[in-house]
Amino acid sequence: MNAFFNGEIFKESLWLLVKTLPTVFEVLILGLICAWSWGLILSLIRLSHVRPLRYLAGAYIDLFRGLPLLLLFIFIYYGLPHAGIRLGPLASGVLGIALCYGAYAAEIFRAGIQAIPKGQTEAARSLGMTHGQAMRHVILPQAVRLVVPPLTNEFIAMIKDTSLMSVISVPELLFTAKEKMGVVVNSTPLTVAALIYIVFTVPLIRVAARMESQRGRRKPRGGKSGGTPSVEVGGDLQTADVAGQLP
Amino acid sequence: MVAMIELIDVHKSFGHLHVLKGINLTVQKKEVVVIIGPSGSGKSTMLRCINGLEPIQKGKVMIEGEDLHGPKTDPNKIRQRIGMVFQSFNLFPHKNALQNVMMAPIKVQKKPKAEAEEIARDLLGRVGLAEKAEVLPEELSGGQQQRVAIARALAMKPDMMLFDEVTSALDPELVAEVLSVMRNLAESGMTMVVVTHEMGFAREVGTRLIFMDGGVVVEEGDPREMIVNPKEVRTQKFLSMVL
Ligand SMILES: Nc1ncnc2c1ncn2[C@@H]1O[C@H](COP(=O)(O)OP(=O)(O)OP(=O)(O)O)[C@@H](O)[C@H]1O
Ligand SMILES: [Mg+2]
Repeated sequence: MNAFFNGEIFKESLWLLVKTLPTVFEVLILGLICAWSWGLILSLIRLSHVRPLRYLAGAYIDLFRGLPLLLLFIFIYYGLPHAGIRLGPLASGVLGIALCYGAYAAEIFRAGIQAIPKGQTEAARSLGMTHGQAMRHVILPQAVRLVVPPLTNEFIAMIKDTSLMSVISVPELLFTAKEKMGVVVNSTPLTVAALIYIVFTVPLIRVAARMESQRGRRKPRGGKSGGTPSVEVGGDLQTADVAGQLP
Repeated sequence: MVAMIELIDVHKSFGHLHVLKGINLTVQKKEVVVIIGPSGSGKSTMLRCINGLEPIQKGKVMIEGEDLHGPKTDPNKIRQRIGMVFQSFNLFPHKNALQNVMMAPIKVQKKPKAEAEEIARDLLGRVGLAEKAEVLPEELSGGQQQRVAIARALAMKPDMMLFDEVTSALDPELVAEVLSVMRNLAESGMTMVVVTHEMGFAREVGTRLIFMDGGVVVEEGDPREMIVNPKEVRTQKFLSMVL
């Protein structure tokens, strides 16, 4: 029997791994909602006029951008119980994603909000809108369009980072594949897991790339002023992807 | 009768840069005050202080007898009564012309949508853009965008309007259409403060001309008189450059 690839095991593993997808999706969707809501809140605090709050949000963002997600998962799942806080694997996973990706999302939202020309806020305020109304009706709807491409990249990284949850025994793809590998003494399950990741990530990568190239092509029209602002925070955000650190 | 706008010894600094150095200005109802002055003299800053977009360091801004910076004053409420139009239009690019005009009446004044739409369509008609209601700002010419911006400000039914070089970003052939809207507005009795380099507009529509330089009002008077016969040397120099 070929210990590297085996057709029979391939079929078995495929079914086994596909069955983990609901769990992966659950963690991803909850993680995404929590991370991006938290990120939006953080970014608004970061841009608020209350200096202590602003600094606090900044410190949080730096801290969680500086921490490896793998460490965070392990800390939440194995460390916090020593402080009397016991979370299940899934909850730990979602919390870790929210804490870490919230920090990245906050930076993306901040950049998106700041990319909206100051004149927009002024026009809104001059019409009698409060700061909150101007944000809600004028700034955020425009910022959201700018942050879709970078957030798509974040989502891709998040998909890959669910694999880190294998160390806190979330029954996701990698965890299940590794278990199966132990049983069949064959690397085929890993190949299957890889294929499943790729099925989800590669189309998203294409979509993100397409959005970015479209953004570059859009031309402003009318008047001498204007121009399409964009969010240039993409590059270093890839550091959120720490899948390579898996032991 | 209480003045629409009263600036009393207004000082404004950006950090160490002292931009407004004691501005006194009173604007009565239905006046069209035209403000001219070299770049950097503080014209925009003064307009922005009138509606509280910029905080001031000293002095008083009174709007229809209310202290803009008074402890009981809600500046958002006061801004609803002061329309402002900007050099760079600042239309909301994610909304079409009609939605741009309707937004503040709906979100700020809590008007029902149908009523806001009626007001907005009427105003777009008044600025000659009835057929552009469903068009996004990016598909409008600069002059059309600026007329939408004027309609947007008027939708709040303001008591006064501030114009900050609203034709400066326009190609020359588009200036007239915007000025004509402003002229109609003045004729309808709107109180206006207009920063502009359009001396024709100042002469024909302005009820008072103010020359600012270095953060102070250097000279003011009747536009028709002051343009041909300025008293101050600085005013003479400036006018000889723009005329
Ligand atoms: N937000 C700001 N921060 C710092 N300095 C500012 C700010 N806004 C304006 N200034 C400075 O204040 C001075 C007056 O600016 P202001 O825009 O009021 O001049 P202006 O008379 O409107 O000129 P222009 O004709 O060029 O529009 C300038 O020196 C400008 O650089
Ligand atoms: Mg100016």
